Amino acid sequence: MAFKHRNRSFRKVLVKLTNSVTTHYKKRNPAKAQCGRCGKELHGVPRARAVVLRNLSKTKKRPERPYGGVLCSKCMRETMITKARAY
Amino acid sequence: MLEIGRVCMKIAGRDAGKKGIVIDILDENYVLLDGEVRRRKCNIHHLEPMAQSVELKKNASHADVLKVLGIKEDKKKSTKKKEKAATPRRMRIKKTYAEPKKEKKTAAKKTEAPKKVRAKKK
Repeated sequence: MAFKHRNRSFRKVLVKLTNSVTTHYKKRNPAKAQCGRCGKELHGVPRARAVVLRNLSKTKKRPERPYGGVLCSKCMRETMITKARAY
Repeated sequence: MLEIGRVCMKIAGRDAGKKGIVIDILDENYVLLDGEVRRRKCNIHHLEPMAQSVELKKNASHADVLKVLGIKEDKKKSTKKKEKAATPRRMRIKKTYAEPKKEKKTAAKKTEAPKKVRAKKK
């Protein structure tokens, strides 16, 4: 039972103590956030487990523009242009 | 291409997707914008001109711009502060329950404590 975290779904993290170094076992991070339209990696969206994200403020989790954290800035701009021309 | 009174939509930033009217032309690249958006200087490349254009004076006031666009001013943004309630809840609870509890505890300790100590010594 002691070694139940010793498998490939967990990641080894070395932790420095005062006299020694121990290994902690940590779950791997989720994949990077991608644009819903073009699939490009999104900037400004942190890559961490939900436990870590829970402590972040809303503004630190995604950019503060419409479709922030969903579309990349370029795709958002294109959708807004089509919206403006449709009026 | 942009002139005073032209209705535009912002394309970039946190005001993206909101409508505004050009109030003043500052520069080759910059324009003063007001309306649903915050009243600010704005880069032309961050704007998409729309078909509608309106007659407006240069540097028209925010209220005039909203009238033309047919938007009512938000009541939420009024700066009046709410008045506090006359007595907060915590104060009410203390007055009714705090005083009788204290009296009971002190009275019980004085009577019980010395008796036990004497019994152990004997």
